[in-house]
Amino acid sequence: MLRATLKGMAARKARLILTSLAIVLGSAFIASALVLTSSIKATAADLNSSSYAGADVIVEPVEPETYGDRVVRDGVTPETLAAVRDAEHVEKVSTTVSWMVNAIGSDGKILAGFTATLAVNWGDESTARELREGRAPETDQEVAVSAGFAEQAGYGLGDSVTAYSLTTDKTEYEIVGIYGYPGGRDTYAGATELAFTTAEAQRLVFDGADRYSALAVTATEGTSQEELLTEIEPLLGDEADAVTWDAYIAEENAESAEAADLVGYFLLGFGLIAVFVSVFLIANTFTIVIAGRLKEIAMMRAIGAGRGQIIRSVLAEALLLGAVASVVGTALGIAAGAGLTTAVANSFLDMGETTLAVPVSAPLAALAVGIGVTVLSALVPAVRASKTPPVEAMREAVKTDKPITLLTVTGAGVTAAGGAGIALGLAEVFDADRANLVAAAVGAGAVFIGITLLTAWLSKPLVSLLGLLWSWSFAGKLGRRNASRNPRRTAVTAAALMIGVTLVTATATLLTSVKASLNAYFDDNVKAELFVSGPPTSPVPASFDPAVMDDIRALDGVATAVELYYDPATIDGTEQYVNATTDFDGIVDQFGGTVDEGSISNLQDGEIAANRSAAEQLGVGIGDTVTASFTRGTEPHEFTLVAILDDNENTDGWYVTTAYVEEFYTPKPTQALVDVADGASVEAVTADVEAVLADQPEVSVLNHDDFLAQITVFFDFAIIAIQLLLGLAMIVAVIGVINTLVLSVLERTRELGMLRAIGMTRGQTTRMVTVESVTIALFGAALGVAVGLGLGWVLQQALAETGIDVFAVPTALIAGYLGAAVLVGLLAAIAPAVRASKVNILGAIAYE
Amino acid sequence: MPLANPPAPQITRTRSAVTASNVWRAYGSGEAQVVALRDVSVQFASGAFTAIMGPSGSGKSTLMHCLAGLDTTDRGTVHIGETPITGLNDKALTKLRRDKIGFIFQQFNLLPTLTAEENILLPASIAGAKADPEWIARIIATLDLSQRLTHKPTELSGGQQQRVACARALATRPEVVFADEPTGNLDTRSSAEVLRFLRKSVDDFGQTIVMVTHDPGAAAYADRVVFLADGQIVEDLHRPTADAVIDTMRGFETRVPLAGEAR
Repeated sequence: MLRATLKGMAARKARLILTSLAIVLGSAFIASALVLTSSIKATAADLNSSSYAGADVIVEPVEPETYGDRVVRDGVTPETLAAVRDAEHVEKVSTTVSWMVNAIGSDGKILAGFTATLAVNWGDESTARELREGRAPETDQEVAVSAGFAEQAGYGLGDSVTAYSLTTDKTEYEIVGIYGYPGGRDTYAGATELAFTTAEAQRLVFDGADRYSALAVTATEGTSQEELLTEIEPLLGDEADAVTWDAYIAEENAESAEAADLVGYFLLGFGLIAVFVSVFLIANTFTIVIAGRLKEIAMMRAIGAGRGQIIRSVLAEALLLGAVASVVGTALGIAAGAGLTTAVANSFLDMGETTLAVPVSAPLAALAVGIGVTVLSALVPAVRASKTPPVEAMREAVKTDKPITLLTVTGAGVTAAGGAGIALGLAEVFDADRANLVAAAVGAGAVFIGITLLTAWLSKPLVSLLGLLWSWSFAGKLGRRNASRNPRRTAVTAAALMIGVTLVTATATLLTSVKASLNAYFDDNVKAELFVSGPPTSPVPASFDPAVMDDIRALDGVATAVELYYDPATIDGTEQYVNATTDFDGIVDQFGGTVDEGSISNLQDGEIAANRSAAEQLGVGIGDTVTASFTRGTEPHEFTLVAILDDNENTDGWYVTTAYVEEFYTPKPTQALVDVADGASVEAVTADVEAVLADQPEVSVLNHDDFLAQITVFFDFAIIAIQLLLGLAMIVAVIGVINTLVLSVLERTRELGMLRAIGMTRGQTTRMVTVESVTIALFGAALGVAVGLGLGWVLQQALAETGIDVFAVPTALIAGYLGAAVLVGLLAAIAPAVRASKVNILGAIAYE
Repeated sequence: MPLANPPAPQITRTRSAVTASNVWRAYGSGEAQVVALRDVSVQFASGAFTAIMGPSGSGKSTLMHCLAGLDTTDRGTVHIGETPITGLNDKALTKLRRDKIGFIFQQFNLLPTLTAEENILLPASIAGAKADPEWIARIIATLDLSQRLTHKPTELSGGQQQRVACARALATRPEVVFADEPTGNLDTRSSAEVLRFLRKSVDDFGQTIVMVTHDPGAAAYADRVVFLADGQIVEDLHRPTADAVIDTMRGFETRVPLAGEAR
């Protein structure tokens, strides 16, 4: 029996290779997810362990609990440094001064990216730096830069670079050295770096105070980390804290592991979707394989093979196929995991050399899932095959479709239950918001599953409808009818595509709605046409010189121009947003706000305004006094509340005069609104404002759309990321559609022969199969788009109260999905269509 | 064998719907080679109903496939009307089958997705042409199918399905209709209906029909019966009766070895 199985498999190589692709894909994803996760962890751990290499105890300042990061960093004092240095078992102490700075690139704008630009002291030994060109900085006007910085900023040795922190003015430095990191890395975990003398670094980071960001303490020979820690701890001032190097690295590793896990879950999710879809595919393929050898099975039964033997022979085939495919998949997955690790490490973290770690779980899980899923998926077709009566060997098999009633009733029930859940959730039947949201979300999930079950029932009318697209061609008509001929099979095939398209459409719809809601909000509420602001990803909040406001106001065509300062301050012990400006009426007007009580127009020093919710949060009313501490302030200030504004997301927060901005986190304005006068050209004013801002490297002028694009840039990234999901679904879908078509062509050989005999051309045959293919693919995608839009709508409705109050359809993306479906259909049709057009007419119709 | 030698070309054009001249066809090679047709020359008169008979493996189906352009010949030529089909490429052959040939199969071979009427109009649809409605109506009436036009093949009896197949074969007024065991899957009553229709289409519409059968009763409906054995034409019977056919078959079964030796 086994030999018969092997020989049978050898005779059907192409089919098996096709099926195994799905298994290979699934197990590869699982293996690569696990390898990627472990490898990123290992790579990060490697990188982490290189920081403060050789140190035994790390002394760091106690981080004060503030809103945001403080401008002037707390540092370890020189007294603590001296005390530690003098300790008995201390061999050596190296100091680190490090924090974010702004550096202006050769294009005149500050370097902005997802990772920070850091100022460090060259003497810092926390990271190994390898000088590539030039020398170390020797004077306060010299700087050595990392190769990553030099490249991004467009500078070379001998150029001068302008850098400044929030506490220093712009200063020019001469680049005297360019350095890299061990392993040929250009950056340290993506961050660009400028290394100054210790004094200059302290000027930038600690406003000139003699402070340190960290001390790395090395013990004398024979002293353990714990012993050193115990010795040092009593010597530290209140401002500093110490941990052993091991504990420090463990914490760093835990942080990077968290990020790696996230990436891993993402990939694992892909893998599970691939496996889920593979189940359909494998079951379908075995049905095909069995359909192709029904006579052979019947013959075996006729000559005495038992049902158990038939089942075992099919399962043996599945086991073998699953094993081979999983091994290949695991190998590919490990290779892909290694490649992905390098790609992820390089593009997001610039880790340079990566450490490949293959956990035992990777091959184990991939093999188990690959083989398990294959064998389980083959079980139903195997049992069905065993039921083949021996008489089938003698007669032409007449296939009767199993009724889809049970499937339809179950699907309808699940869908209805889901719909009810959504209705309850959206109608806010439950008291808790969370319960409503959960009801809607669970309902949406149930509808998704329900519709998947209903695919077979939906396929007939929908496929007929879609088929109208090809009704101009007779071959197209035949193809359309063929597509709706076996609803169960069409459904299984289309479901593979539907699942993927549903998920991406739902997410894309939600993200598009978020963007549209923001847009609508701006259009409805913001009067100003132009915004002056910096990139949201700049390392230090972008700001500009308030003096330019006068120049902007003086421009022709500018009706109003208002600047805004911002500070995450503490008011009455709570964290609050505080704004400052010189034109309160202007701000309220431009942002579409309204003053409810009191007056903000003439706000004086010592007076404060707030929005309704903020005032209520602190339980204060007009005339009451509040105490505010600003980020850089040393003393708290008392303010009298003189005005209360209606809640309005744009104007929410507290308002004070510009008398306090020196104590703000950013002592310069971070944003300005420019209202273009009626009749003036927005383009002309934009150009004029741009000219005024020429010396302000951190900010630029944006119109509504630009500004929104800047805010929503993250959504765009998210949308791109989910397209990857679709890509995977597409690959599996292509295999699924090919399988189904091959089965169809196999079953309809005689029909094809007849059609060819009575005069159908090869071209028409090809078209017929292609239309069937494209119709199935389009059906899956269209259903996916419909369900995805529905789910997206439910999510948007459920989240409407959080401000996502506009429902928007990602039309271009949806058109793209449908276009991709057509492409899937065309690709999948190639081989089966060629096969169909080459059907041997005689073989197909001749019966002697 | 009066028709063993090809007649003058002019006569062929006027009288013959299908002509095979010195056709050879073999399958396989070496020791496994089977010669299905040995130097067969035969003409099928226009407007006549001809049956091809012979025992299993005699080459009767191969002959029909070669005549209909479904199979290629190794040597010799085949003409449909005045068109030589030997050596035509697939495209030209397809067009020829579409425009000049009708087929009736043993297994009916209707498209299950199409209604009876759509199946009848299938050849025209494939050609992208409009069928002559009057002609179609006449065939449908003759075949008594007017009540069954909207039915799918699965909703029709075997006899009805074969009648639909007959209508399909005649729908484009082909030069010749090839019927391959058209009654092989039918009960006697349905068989008689189908055969009466084929007879009628020859008598009333002047249709040319070539039918492969092994049923002497069916062959008796034909104007002429051509007998094949071992790839050669061994007998040619005009105005046959079922008894005459049976007698002939009995007769040539004993003559076959002789015919083989004669060559």
